[in-house]
Amino acid sequence: MNDGGIKRRDFLKVMGWGGASVALGGCGNASLESGAELVESYVQPEDFMVPGISVYYASTCTQCEAACAVHGRVREGRILKLEGNPDSSINKGKICGLGQAAVQSHYNPDRLTRPQIRQGGKLADATWEQAMTLLAQKVGPASGVQGGEFALLSGAVSGHLKVLLQNYVDSLGSKNHFVYDALSPAVTYSANKKIYGVESPRLRLDKAKMILSFGADFLGSWVSPVHFAGQYAQFRKAPRGVLVQVEPKMTLTGANADRWIPARPGTEGVLALGIANQLLQDAALAQKAPAGAAAAVKTYTKEMVSAATGVPADQMDKVVALLKERTPSLVLSGPSAEGHAHGSQTATAIALLNVILGNVGKTIEAPAALPFPQIAPSSGSYAGLREFNDGLSKGQYKAVFVYGANPVFTAPGFMGLGDNLGKAAFKVVFAESLDETAAQADLVLPLDSALEGWGTHVAHYQPGGTELNVQQPLMEKLHAETRGMGDVLLDLLKQRQPDQYKQWPDYYAYLKSAVLQNKAAFGQAASDDEAFWRGALSAGLLKVSAPEPAAVKVGSVEVSLPAAEADNAQYPLHLVPSVRHSFRDGRHANLPWMQESPDALTTMVWDSWAEIHPKTAARLGVKEGDYLEIASDKGAIKVKAYVFPGIHPGAVAVPVGQGHEELGRYAKGVGVNPFKILSPVFDKDTGELAMYATRVKVSKTGQHEKMVKDEGASNGKQAGTKIVVTLPTDKVNLAREV
Amino acid sequence: MHRLTALLFFAVLGIIGVPAAYATDPTTIVEQPIEFPHDRHAGDMGINCMYCHTYARRSIVSGIPPLAKCIGCHQNIESVKDKPRIKKLFEYWDKKQAIPWKKVHDLPDFVRFNHERHIQRFYFQQGKPVQEVCGYCHGDVKTMKVAQQVKPLTMGWCRSCHMEDHQVAKGSKETTNGPSDCWVCHK
Repeated sequence: MNDGGIKRRDFLKVMGWGGASVALGGCGNASLESGAELVESYVQPEDFMVPGISVYYASTCTQCEAACAVHGRVREGRILKLEGNPDSSINKGKICGLGQAAVQSHYNPDRLTRPQIRQGGKLADATWEQAMTLLAQKVGPASGVQGGEFALLSGAVSGHLKVLLQNYVDSLGSKNHFVYDALSPAVTYSANKKIYGVESPRLRLDKAKMILSFGADFLGSWVSPVHFAGQYAQFRKAPRGVLVQVEPKMTLTGANADRWIPARPGTEGVLALGIANQLLQDAALAQKAPAGAAAAVKTYTKEMVSAATGVPADQMDKVVALLKERTPSLVLSGPSAEGHAHGSQTATAIALLNVILGNVGKTIEAPAALPFPQIAPSSGSYAGLREFNDGLSKGQYKAVFVYGANPVFTAPGFMGLGDNLGKAAFKVVFAESLDETAAQADLVLPLDSALEGWGTHVAHYQPGGTELNVQQPLMEKLHAETRGMGDVLLDLLKQRQPDQYKQWPDYYAYLKSAVLQNKAAFGQAASDDEAFWRGALSAGLLKVSAPEPAAVKVGSVEVSLPAAEADNAQYPLHLVPSVRHSFRDGRHANLPWMQESPDALTTMVWDSWAEIHPKTAARLGVKEGDYLEIASDKGAIKVKAYVFPGIHPGAVAVPVGQGHEELGRYAKGVGVNPFKILSPVFDKDTGELAMYATRVKVSKTGQHEKMVKDEGASNGKQAGTKIVVTLPTDKVNLAREV
Repeated sequence: MHRLTALLFFAVLGIIGVPAAYATDPTTIVEQPIEFPHDRHAGDMGINCMYCHTYARRSIVSGIPPLAKCIGCHQNIESVKDKPRIKKLFEYWDKKQAIPWKKVHDLPDFVRFNHERHIQRFYFQQGKPVQEVCGYCHGDVKTMKVAQQVKPLTMGWCRSCHMEDHQVAKGSKETTNGPSDCWVCHK
């Protein structure tokens, strides 16, 4: 703008005059817009519709797997806001920021509004008729595609949609329904199953007097955060519970803890066994402990554990003293402890503490049973993705469907999934926005938003009795050409098994008849069908009547941990791919509210960053804003450094979820994607990807850029800055001040 | 673009163009899809404003009457069924399509005017005639064909009435002003 153009200062001067005249205009009669807008009226309104007055409908939040029940505020037929539904035992009337942003997901300008078919290498707009014809041609009965030639990759699913997905895969004679979740809790579930006999025991944070959490970010992104936040509030009421958090990178939960312990990444299990060893020195605890436990942990002496974990012996002593003093307690294990090659063993070692402390049955309870296995949640796992990818790389699929997952973005780079996907002859992606996987598809089908569609959901974590959460449209469709996943599946099933499915004109009819058939299971066998259904929709949830669950039985707590990992000279640091509650696996990076909400710990917005300990930064000569190259054996990312004391000196943390190449204007080109540099390390027991086991080296690139964040100076230290000047009450001269 | 021309362009845009985009002369005639004769309905027949604008007493907006309301009467009024306006009305009804009325009294988005408060106070509590109450802001609608904005609807104009003493209820000697708190209207 400097070559014969306008200088910034001139521009501002002129705009100043212009602006002043606008302001003057505004003072007169001239700020009204008569006749400029339409005022929409109704043809025949419902009796209860009053323009300007909101009505509330119950539905279910689908932003994460917790399945919180919500009430949507609707005015003039538009959904404006979501609130928590107080009748749900999951969220008890509360809702998180990510849940609030579901509204923005619905109104997102980058939503897909038409089917797209690949023509001449590019995706082009098409009609549903063309799309369904193409589907009939490529995967319909006449296509000849069947059995192992077809695969479906879905995100975690539950409820009646899961039944239809499964039925469709079955109708092709295929066994390939792979369920994938990039942030899979599969290791937790398998360890829980082994130790407590159930995958998701009820955790009673509210009953505990002390919580020792190994990387479980229950206030942020772990399992059912809204529910746990409520329990946490109870836990902190007088007499105040004590929270100790062990993790390599401070999470929101860690920031709330009374004591935050950064054990060397991967040694959380060793620390747990060290604590177990000290606890078992207490005769009363040793007496009740499982046979052989004392012998199994006796080599984990204070000195050995302290050397292996880097946790000073006196800190361990304090934790042990707290655990002895405060019963019942609760010990949790989360992804950063379990994301290593020995993750399942670590989870077992941590659970052993609960057994020794007698917490099982007190703060760890059995969940209520779900009498319908067909609609029970299938939680995703890495195993699902691996099988899908193996099939792709062998070129054995003629047709693949992807729904509720974005594997091209979330799969680790070493899998080469993006390239392998090209080997499938016909790829169909069902999505709301064009994500990285959809961009590679041959057919993209635009789905209704979660606020426009019907559905049922069963949460994996059920804190009360089992709930079936009902999702109903909160407004008419924004775009005429989007459809519900259930409706598309029904049409596809009708292509194959018309007789079985012709009785249901749409997914709503299917859902209603399926729920009505099971009235009895909800304890309402005698009620009238329509009254029952209206009741279900107005409540937004149905409580399953099931007998009180049996007590949790302690199973095997045998544990064997490997010797501490040797220092790695080539890749000296541990990569912590931390999970932000706002983005989860990255599917929500297209929500500007989430991009704009500062990260809870660093206050960063609209970007990725690498958290690095001040000592490590000093050693490498790194200052805040310096671009770092973080390289693993599988690739490198370039990202700005954020010098942060809340991280283990031997680790560097980069949040996942950013670094999109697609997913619309708000996500594209923002930040970096650490999924791409993960190393192929797997949990030995379950085969799950060990997300926290990647080793990296960090070097300066020489570039520097200012960080965009809310906090002030680096590290945000406010002590001594006199932001708010205070005086003790006894020093205040009230006669002068008031 | 030449520097001077560019500066001139922005200056002109600033001084003339931008205010012009916002300006509406209170006498601007707004054309509607159907030339609705308020004079016939409110004037000749003396129908209460709230018979059609039924939400005014219970909501922030008065609401444009739903099409079903028009049809409710007009399906029984044979004498005017062949008039072009009524034919047009039934065309919309047959298509079950809402009439795209244009907003005549359109306050800026940062202003929140509550119809309910004003109707409750002046019509129900003070018992003033409805056409007078609505007319404070909408003018003498019973003499208009298509409703037009005749009052300034500016903040200063709102305040001029809010500063006056108004009787609390019919027969009461107690008076109050309209609120002057910013947040009452700007929220």
